[in-house]
Amino acid sequence: MASEAVISNGLPKIQAPPAEIEREPLVHNNRSLAWITEQVASVAEGKTPKWWWPAFIVSFSGMLMMFTMIAYLISTGVGVWGLNQPSAWAWDITNFVFWIGIGHAGTLISAVLFLLRQKWRTSINRAAEAMTIFAVVCAGIFPVVHTGRVWFATLPGYLIPFPNSNGIWPQFRSPLLWDVFAVSTYATVSTLFWYTGLVPDLAVMRDRAKTKLRKFCYGLFALGWSGSNRNWSNYEKAYLILAGLSTPLVLSVHSIVSFDFAVSQLPGWHATIFPPYFVAGAIFSGFGMVLSLMLPLRSLCKLEDLITVRHVELMCKVLLATGSIVGYAYIMEFFIAWYGGNPYELDVFIKNRAADPWIFGPMFKVDPAPYWWAYWAMMSCNVIIPHLFWFKKVRTNMWIVWVLAALVNVGMWFERFNIIVTSLHRDFLPSNWGMFSPTWVDILTFAGSFALFMTLFLLFMKFLPVIAISEVKGVTPQADPHHPLGGARGGHH
Amino acid sequence: MKTIPPQCPEPEVGPKYWRSLDQVAETPEFREWAEKEFPAGASELTDPVTRRNFVKLMSASFLLAGFGLSGCRRPVEKIVPFGRQPENYIHGKPVYYATAMPTKGGAVPLLVRSHDGRPTKAEGNSGHPDSNGSTDVYAQAALLNLYDPDRSMRSWKREGSGMSAVTAGAVTDALAGISREAAANGGAGLALLLERNTSPSRARLLAELTKKFPSAGVYVYEPVDPYVHVAGATAAFGKPVAPYFTLSSAKAIAAFDADFLGAEENAHVNIRGFAKGRKVDKSSDVMNRLYVVEGAMTVTGTNADHRLRLAPSRIIGALARLGSEVAKLTGSSDIFSSLVSSFPGSNKVGEGTAESWVTTCAADLVANKGMSLVLVGYQQPVVAHVMANAINVALGNVGSTVAYLPALPAEGSIGDLIGKLTAGSVSSLVILGGNPAYNAPVDLDFATAAKKAKNIVRLGYHEDETSALATWHLNQAHFLESWGDARTSDGTLVPVQPLIEPLFNGLTELEVIARIGGFSSVRAYDVVRETFSQQFGGIAQLDADEVWKQFLHDGYLPKSAAKPVVVSLVSGLALAHTAPAAPSKDKLEVVFARDYSLDDGRYNNNGWLQEMPDPVSKIVWENVIAVSATTAKELGLEITKLSSQRIRNGDSLGKALKSNESLVGNDEVTIKVNGREVTGPVWIQPGLADNVVVVALGYGREVTGRVGRKSGFNAYKIRTSSSPYFASGATLTPTGKMLNLATTQEHGSMEGRPIVREATLENWKKKADFATNMDLEAHFPGVVGTYEVKTIGRVENRPKGIYEHPYETYGTNVNSGLGPRADRRQILKSEVHQWGMVIDLNSCVGCSACVVACQSENNVPIVGKDQVLKGREMHWLRIDRYYAGSVEDPQVASQPMMCLHCENAPCESVCPVNATVHDEEGLNVMAYNRCIGTRYCSNNCPYKARRFNFFDYNKRENDYAEVKTTKRGSTSWVTTDAGLYKGIAGVDKNSSAEWEIIKLGKNPNVSVRMRGVMEKCTFCVQRIEEAKINQKVKAGASSNVQVPEGTFTTACAQACPAEAVEFGNLLDPNSRVAKLRASQRNYEVLGFLETRPRVTYLARIRNPNPKMPDAYELAFTMKEYTDAGKGNPLESHHGAHGAAEHGSEAHGAAEKKGAH
Repeated sequence: MASEAVISNGLPKIQAPPAEIEREPLVHNNRSLAWITEQVASVAEGKTPKWWWPAFIVSFSGMLMMFTMIAYLISTGVGVWGLNQPSAWAWDITNFVFWIGIGHAGTLISAVLFLLRQKWRTSINRAAEAMTIFAVVCAGIFPVVHTGRVWFATLPGYLIPFPNSNGIWPQFRSPLLWDVFAVSTYATVSTLFWYTGLVPDLAVMRDRAKTKLRKFCYGLFALGWSGSNRNWSNYEKAYLILAGLSTPLVLSVHSIVSFDFAVSQLPGWHATIFPPYFVAGAIFSGFGMVLSLMLPLRSLCKLEDLITVRHVELMCKVLLATGSIVGYAYIMEFFIAWYGGNPYELDVFIKNRAADPWIFGPMFKVDPAPYWWAYWAMMSCNVIIPHLFWFKKVRTNMWIVWVLAALVNVGMWFERFNIIVTSLHRDFLPSNWGMFSPTWVDILTFAGSFALFMTLFLLFMKFLPVIAISEVKGVTPQADPHHPLGGARGGHH
Repeated sequence: MKTIPPQCPEPEVGPKYWRSLDQVAETPEFREWAEKEFPAGASELTDPVTRRNFVKLMSASFLLAGFGLSGCRRPVEKIVPFGRQPENYIHGKPVYYATAMPTKGGAVPLLVRSHDGRPTKAEGNSGHPDSNGSTDVYAQAALLNLYDPDRSMRSWKREGSGMSAVTAGAVTDALAGISREAAANGGAGLALLLERNTSPSRARLLAELTKKFPSAGVYVYEPVDPYVHVAGATAAFGKPVAPYFTLSSAKAIAAFDADFLGAEENAHVNIRGFAKGRKVDKSSDVMNRLYVVEGAMTVTGTNADHRLRLAPSRIIGALARLGSEVAKLTGSSDIFSSLVSSFPGSNKVGEGTAESWVTTCAADLVANKGMSLVLVGYQQPVVAHVMANAINVALGNVGSTVAYLPALPAEGSIGDLIGKLTAGSVSSLVILGGNPAYNAPVDLDFATAAKKAKNIVRLGYHEDETSALATWHLNQAHFLESWGDARTSDGTLVPVQPLIEPLFNGLTELEVIARIGGFSSVRAYDVVRETFSQQFGGIAQLDADEVWKQFLHDGYLPKSAAKPVVVSLVSGLALAHTAPAAPSKDKLEVVFARDYSLDDGRYNNNGWLQEMPDPVSKIVWENVIAVSATTAKELGLEITKLSSQRIRNGDSLGKALKSNESLVGNDEVTIKVNGREVTGPVWIQPGLADNVVVVALGYGREVTGRVGRKSGFNAYKIRTSSSPYFASGATLTPTGKMLNLATTQEHGSMEGRPIVREATLENWKKKADFATNMDLEAHFPGVVGTYEVKTIGRVENRPKGIYEHPYETYGTNVNSGLGPRADRRQILKSEVHQWGMVIDLNSCVGCSACVVACQSENNVPIVGKDQVLKGREMHWLRIDRYYAGSVEDPQVASQPMMCLHCENAPCESVCPVNATVHDEEGLNVMAYNRCIGTRYCSNNCPYKARRFNFFDYNKRENDYAEVKTTKRGSTSWVTTDAGLYKGIAGVDKNSSAEWEIIKLGKNPNVSVRMRGVMEKCTFCVQRIEEAKINQKVKAGASSNVQVPEGTFTTACAQACPAEAVEFGNLLDPNSRVAKLRASQRNYEVLGFLETRPRVTYLARIRNPNPKMPDAYELAFTMKEYTDAGKGNPLESHHGAHGAAEHGSEAHGAAEKKGAH
């Protein structure tokens, strides 16, 4: 396509490189730099599209509902959720790990792919990072409100180390405390990283602003960006440092979250494979969520030229890779449960999870597991479904990709549900065994967390450039001095 | 623990502790005047709807009193300060008083702890020679009745359609009126209906009363009446005698429908004796053997070595068959053969091997001649009791395992009373206690008959169904508020001594009888004192006052046990019995059982008992219609459908039934018998006889407090006088509705896991250390090798961990139950005390007294049925019950489970805020103030011993039994907080006034936990600290601060009638607990996890008779374990090693890593 590109900017016709060595361009239709600015900025500047208001009202009401549920929970007691003995954790921590997992794609895309010079990240990193931060916000709510006495949990000295006259410190051996540090660090660094990347674009927004208020607000946050070389030089350094800082966090946060389980001695939790498998799972679910958001976004905001089918395909390949890691982990976990020779461990995998009424139950000669459907929902969504992405036809059909990406998220939610509930509900002593069922408060709180996420995302769309304008421009041919279209011949701002 | 004797008698004036209104207001005349002055306030009292509760009453009355006495309008403080500090009284330090809880057939001697004048905990009186410290659940829970905000708080008189409160003076006048009337006509028209008890004072008063008023009638009614034992013995021996069993000396026991460890009277004494016979240190010790023939699945049945399921109506046939066999083997005259042949069909006992079961059992009894015992339960007719007595005589058991004590002849029955009432010859009916309007046989129609009496005076603890009939309701005092006396089952005299002035001016039975009799001394104290000096004064040489003081101090009168009567069988004993037809699926047999929680319904409003899991079914808050799995299938109860929510978790019907998981949403069925019917939830109970339906009495009350309201169904509605304990010809039909049943244990099978470790006596002989040769610890390689731990009497290999064990270093020197001590550097933080507990599973019968004792001691809240349905019960100590074997004939094992105080506690390292930590003495302690409620500790606890306050249970409403659901089985989607305190978003419906009375019963030494806090067993840390302080005071300047063995114990250990729980200091080599830890049977539950629990268990030993048709080589749980392919614990080493040599490092290394 590119080789046959019609150069329409009135400049002399230049021989395009041969088709076989040409990569598919990251911006389709050879859009000019001005077009990119215009197109991206108009999402935040232009007239609010018709669909935005209903979406926002629904999300916002859902968010209010979530806060109502939380108020009810805190005023009345954690018992309004379906938790019990033995399942002292259920949807609360499931949702926490689910959202934290989703929050992984942003950092991976922005930091790891940046360091690896994967240029295709530029058109998705902004939204993915925003998504990360919003997901971490959603995630952070659950472990806080799931405590029995929130008013103490949030006091310094309980979870936050704080020198006090009693000399009492938090328990530094507890993975929950590590969570506090890991998640708060992650949230801080992700936010800084996102904001740093936003600065040049905020300046663009400031410069384009037509009202004083907008000018003031964008100007405030643009930190006096002037686009000077000095600005750019400092910016690039800061961005690189933050990328370097964020990269280990991609690995650490979910490793530490996995310690919540791996460090305990509960069969089904006590597994050394958890840290890598949680990280892979987190990236898997994060990309699932990025796709779920980007596909509607590119279509509704007419950004198909920026978020191209190639982007979607690449993300599908990431899903395929991480999905395979996750699938390997599931099977390896099962193998180790058998190979480890601990019957309590094996019982969790067979009797609590895998034994369905028709195939595996009869095969192992055991009763169907109470939550076999949850286990197999996880297995099908996370292990079988990603393998459809081997087919280009699947990867390039946006509708199918969207459905499969959504299923990946369903599967990843069930993964956490499986780990938590199916391990807890039947542990060592059969006398403790019991079932967990959610209550309407559980369900509405979880649904509300999606609404909170969507509310934040819609506001983000409304006020900030959803695509990193300056970075996308940097990967266009026009930005490449050696490219026939680049350098002086290139477009103009 | 005991304190100096209290000053006796109680002074008339000069308040000592918390006082009632009477003492402030002094005279009844004054009070009458005061109430007449304020008719508006008084009329409030009579309004049944807005019944004013305790403190409102109190403050209003105090205000009146203040007005009248001093003319001062200042609000009166509730605190009455000491004008002068009483001697030996230290504020905040509890004092203990000896008293007793009267029961139907005896009494439970108690030492009751009193904090600042309010009783807070009942303990068994260990000085008493017969019960030595054992109690039952009722004695443990009786305290809650004292502080029941729904108890009757006033006396009233019916006026027209309403009731008006009356003063104590008016009550006295009314009773005097009855007395005058009786005096005028010799008692004609006067009838007294009493409950059964053993009070010598009551017997004396009644004797005097009938002497004074010869025409007066005295009747006794008990819905579940132990008197049949006396009736049977009396019929057998021709004089009034009561059998008294000494189970400790019995080697072979055959119980025929006799739940002597559960529902029979004095079960706590029986359990102690029975457990003594099962305490074995080594495999060569002699152990008793228990044969049980029964229809229901009782606590006794769960402890049987051999159990035969038989419908109750067939049991008498089996007993007769046993009798013939014993007669044949002993050569005594066979009076049973004719009876056996009178059974329809043949003289066959039952199906299959039942015949040889009974004859082999008889042979074993004869082999243990003189040391055997045959018991028959209260459900069986008199003739069965006669037979049992005759068999015991033939077996030469009289004098060794059974003695006959003098008894009183029977009083009139309720049937006699109804006859007189119907004839119109009763004008004044005085009902003292009991609740006949609710529990009298339905065919007698007590309510209709009673209405024929002109005047019904009712002394009642609650305003209940019977009060609804009464013209006068007098509120009764709790036994902890009254003077009285009783005789325990062995005849020892015990005092009933008040610990507190009657909170609501209640009267005692003795006072009412004395006033009706018009006797000179009417105060209960005087009556008891008089009886004492008349009947027992001469026992000691000391002066009477001293004897009396000593008696009150000790809580029993030494050497007052009844002297056994020499008996011989009535010659020519003729036994006749008409056997009903054997039950079939169309003609089921209904068994009416005494409830393990509510007795006959008298504890209906007691939340502790309502929430105490049934020892067998683990159901709380209601009764069920229990049937066997076979019967359920035959009746077409659609179990798979009914339990769709749960059955899909299970495989075959049988297995699902055994695990009871199918029973969360249950079919509602109607039982119809003799033209009457009742409806309730069906429950499939493993081990039940086929074609038998078991229903527990005591539920479904119509007029009761808020706690008991809506709990269960009323089985009395189908219970007639002709078939009081089992009725034939019943049908059962599903109504098509589903009901929720709350149980604390959904899964009943151990799944082949060695949680409760059991072996037969023979197995134990074969392999002494079978108990530690199970599960993954049987192949312990450890992460970094193993090291040897010597404990007293044994050596074991423990794995070395990556981290140093917090309580020991690796070494080999030992001198305590903890392991190497000499090598311990300063790691053991206290060298004085290290606490531990050992639970002997061979002694534990599962009676649950410990559960209630723990609840009482530790202020454990009641959560309600809805919360149990959600799996949120709060009991710190639970009793796990496991079934093994078939669903028809399972073996049952009970295991008390609580926080095991692991040395390597998994809960501690995961708590992010350090709220659960270890103390120097090995306790895993909770800092409630620090807890934020992440519940991670619970997740990481392998025993799930921790309990979380999901709501503010202490502030919830009292309607615990109500479940506000709309859909069956859907415990999930229902309103989650019905009846629960909604914090700032709701209103605390527990008015503060009610809380005032409820909180009186709390133990002030234990925090009352708020919501959001995790809690669990503390090893009764408050008792430990108290004992340590006492010892330090005693030690003075010396360094002897180690608390001596036997000074104190935990609440559960104290209450345990079987002495199955042993608590003490592991560093004291002479302590029982250190010795038991060295027992061959000692094991750690999930020992392979290396949590190193401080609570260990002694494996259970079964004692099957190899000749029996249902003999077994392995205990069923061990069979499940070996069948699961986990090796044979009776072999040297199991798994792949076969006969590999013991303890070699090489083998350990080759072993698969087990633990993690």
